[in-house]
This record gives sequence, C-alpha cells and structure tokens, in this order.
Amino acid sequence: MGYISEGFISALHLLSSGNVETYSAVFTTLKASSLSMSGSLLIGIPLGFLLGYFEFPAKRHARAVVDTLLALPTVVVGLLVYAFISRRGPLGDFGLLFTVPGIAVAQMVLVIPIVISLTATAIEGLDRRLRLNLLTLGARGKQIALTSLSEARYAVLAAAVTAYGRAISEVGISMMIGGNIKWHTRTITTAIALETGKGQFAMGIALGLVLIFLAFAVNWALSVLKRKTD
Amino acid sequence: MNKKDCIYRLYDIRQAYGGRDVLDIPEICIEKGKSIGLSGPNGSGKSTMLRIMAFLETPLSGEVYFNEKKVNGDEPALRNQVTLLLQEPFLLKRTVFDNVAYGLKIRGISENLKDRVNHALRSVGLYPEEFAHRRWYELSGGEAQRVCLASRLVLRPKVLMLDEPTASVDRRSAVMMKEAIASIRQSYETTLFIASHDLIWLNQVTDIVFRMYEGRIVGSGTENVISGPWHPDKDGLWARELGDGQKIIVTQPEKDTSVAILDPTSIIISLEKPAEISAQNILQGKILQMNMSSDPEKVELHIQVARFSFTCIITRFAAEELNALPGLDIWVIFKATSVSWQ
Repeated sequence: MGYISEGFISALHLLSSGNVETYSAVFTTLKASSLSMSGSLLIGIPLGFLLGYFEFPAKRHARAVVDTLLALPTVVVGLLVYAFISRRGPLGDFGLLFTVPGIAVAQMVLVIPIVISLTATAIEGLDRRLRLNLLTLGARGKQIALTSLSEARYAVLAAAVTAYGRAISEVGISMMIGGNIKWHTRTITTAIALETGKGQFAMGIALGLVLIFLAFAVNWALSVLKRKTD
Repeated sequence: MNKKDCIYRLYDIRQAYGGRDVLDIPEICIEKGKSIGLSGPNGSGKSTMLRIMAFLETPLSGEVYFNEKKVNGDEPALRNQVTLLLQEPFLLKRTVFDNVAYGLKIRGISENLKDRVNHALRSVGLYPEEFAHRRWYELSGGEAQRVCLASRLVLRPKVLMLDEPTASVDRRSAVMMKEAIASIRQSYETTLFIASHDLIWLNQVTDIVFRMYEGRIVGSGTENVISGPWHPDKDGLWARELGDGQKIIVTQPEKDTSVAILDPTSIIISLEKPAEISAQNILQGKILQMNMSSDPEKVELHIQVARFSFTCIITRFAAEELNALPGLDIWVIFKATSVSWQ
C-alpha cells in the first residue's frame, strides 16, 4: 500500500510544481477534446434534433443505427479512422495521422452518436402539450423548433457532458491515431497507460487526479449553467 | 344577420378521429364581439370545435371563413388574431415574465413589452413585483393557469377561446380568471368562446350557450339537454335513471341514445310534492343558483336533481311566492310530452 500513498504525494508535487511533462499531456487532452467536442456538438445537436423532432419513414431504422453506434469500441473507431487517414487511406493527404486534429476527428466519430442519440431522446421526451401551446401562442416552424430545443436544454447539456466524458476518457483512439508521442500527441489517458506500465505511479495518479478534476469541473459548470438558466 | 357581422362562418364542418364522427356542424355564424359558450358532456365535440376555429386542426370537410376570408390550412396572419387557452396549464421552462412575453416576442413586438406583460399579469390577479421573476415550477396549478391566461391576454387577440379554463384551478384563481376574461371583452371587444361544464358560470359570462352532444349543436339558450341512455318504462313511456332512485320519464325516443330537449318554461316548481297531477315527472331537487333572465320579469333557476342540473324560468312573482332562494328544497315537475327530440 505504501507505493500508492507515495504515488499520491508525488502526484501532488508534480501538479503543484508545474511539471512540464504532466501539463503537456493535460493540454494535449484539452486541445483534442475541445476540438472534438466543438465539431460533435455542431453536427450532433442539429442531427439529434431532426431525428427526435420529425417523423419520417426510416426513422426507426435511423434510430437503431445511431443507438448501435453508441457501443462502438474505441479501438474499432481507431482502426477505421487509422485506415482512412493513413498515407494509403483516402484521406491520407490531409496528414492527420499522429496529430492532435487526427485524434479529434476520431473522437468525433466516437461521440457524435452519443450527442445525436441523447439529443433525440431529449426532444422526443418533451411534453406533448408543448407544440400545441406554442401554436396557440402564434409560434410556427422555426420558432417552434427553436423553442423546443430550448425547452430540452438541460437534457442536451447532459448529452454534451456525457459525450465530453467519453472523449476525455478514451485510450484506444488517442493511442492508435495519436501514437502517444511525447510533447506532441500524448494525452492524459495514454500517459497513464504508459507510466503505469513503467511502474511510474506518481505521474499516473497525478494525471488521473486531473482527469477526475476535469470531469468534476465540467459537471459543476453544468449545474451552475442550469441554475442560471432556470 | 349581415355576413359582415360574422367573425366566423362555418359550413358543413365535419371532423372524425379513427373513423368516428366527432363534429358535424351544418352552418353557423358567430357575430363579432359576442361571448359564446359551449356546453355538453365529455366527447361532445367542444374541444374539437375550438381547435378547428383556432386553426389548429383542419376539418375533414367543410369551410371555415374568418372575417369573410376563407381559411386554407395554416395562415399565420389569421392565427395571430386567435388564441386558445387549453384546459391544463402548461408553461415554458422560463420565468413568469418570459412566459407572458413569449407571444409578443415571436411577433417581434418589443415596444412597451414590460408594461404590457405587467398589465396582463395584474389583470389575472398576479402582482408583477411578486410573480414576474418566479420560475415556472414556483407556482400553484391555479397561478400557472392564470399565467397561461395572461400570456394570451397580452396578445390582445380578436378571438379568445378557453377550453374548460377553470376546470383544474382553485376557487380564487377561477374568480380572477373570470374577471380577466370579462375585462378583455370590454377593453378590446374580443370575441370569446368558452367551453365549460360549469353551466352557471357560462350563463353569466356568455351571450349564448350552444349545447353540444355527440358532435352536434343540439340547442342554444337555456334549454335543458338530457342525454340517454333511455330504456322502456310503463305505459309506452321511456325513462332515464338519475342514480338516486329518481328517473326522468319521456315519450318514446327515436333511439335509446337520442337527446331530449326540455324548454325551461315547461317546468313547474313546487314547495310540496303534488298529490294529484297528470305530469309524469315529479323530481326532488335543490335550488343551486338564481339569475336574472334576459326578460326582467323572469328569473332563471338552476336546480340540482341528483347529478343533473335543470334550468327553469319562472316569473319574478312566482319566485317571490315560493320565497325561492339557493339551497331551498323544491319539486321539479314536467310532463313526459314536454320534451322534444334531437
């Protein structure tokens, strides 16, 4: 047990002393996850809204596909994206392999289905009386759509938080697409895996603490936002 | 009536859900500025009629004219002039102020927004200082329904429709809502449609009450509408049980679900049970409410007999003779042949 408590003490020292290697992994993680989340929310929320709001013939099938994609293993996503962005792949010319934007693109593939599915569920779960009431107040088309999205805002925010949690905690994609290159594409999760393998618990625990702190910070920000928009 | 006086004209309106007819209105004209009541049991077509006139539903067949303009599907300009308050209160997840301001904002009205919202809140008995910043979940059911009403009143609509507005609210809220509805009519000459089971209130706030049954308007005014089921009784007459051992006896209906119409002036009132009388219906009841009739020499009595409410019209002199007051136990007497059939 001694090495765990020693690991904690060393971790706190690494964080408080501003250890460059530790913070490099933290910033890479933040950069990749911010990029992937921006893209995922921009694409996922409108698609989720369309899927939840409108009735169309293949809706059930579309929903089944999206729900299936929720269970995509990160290594499978890594494998597929690797195949596409490697030199021989159709997107090889973009030079995304072993880059942070490359990690972000693969993370988008992972989390867009989460955003779509949870947004669609939030829209479908809106009170059926909402639309009728908006119509009686004179709203139509775009106004009804935007108000409906606004009414589902907490559930959509929760979808974003869930997606963010998935993006910052995945290992497979960052390892395969990023290559775990020190100072360059090493993220918190790949660093933890590497350092633990080397028996360096201190940095692993330090990065683990940062990961937990990030999750807490995002949820705390969400609850503050919820209180403010109530 | 001149066609130009009609805010609504409906021709051959039919609506059906799942193959079942729910509304059948051959022709009707609604005069501008009038207050119209719709009464009838659940499923009689009141809400369907309101939704069609609020342009929320398209009828299966027939034509709707609004201000002499034929309505074809969704017409924003028309819908902005008409609003409907639904039976159950429903608020957006916003503050009371934002809920009331919503309709104005989507119309792009920002001038005097705060004053208009505050005025609408005051008109339903909610002080803006106390309620404007409350969140949607910080209200009682009655307060929420009043906010819903305020969000319609603020629009100053040409037509305001209310579907059972006081069905799920407390007594105080009901009173405040009734006052607000009366006030908007006075201030903006708004045409009102009110669907309600509360006949007494309807008679107070409306110019005419359409009695609806199975999708049809079966009468207007103060007629008593008595629905079946009817079953054969003695001497070739038919009866409907009232649930307390008493029954209404009528002539043979066309079918057992026919609707009987009883003129309120055909009813005789007595303090004592008459010993020898040819009338087949001698029912014990209690006066619920007394109103002035449109004829100043007449008085309108609302009498509860079991679960049924009769309206009868007697002279002021007769009312004085009876010493009629709400709560008085009396006998309601009428002949089986007094009813007509719809």
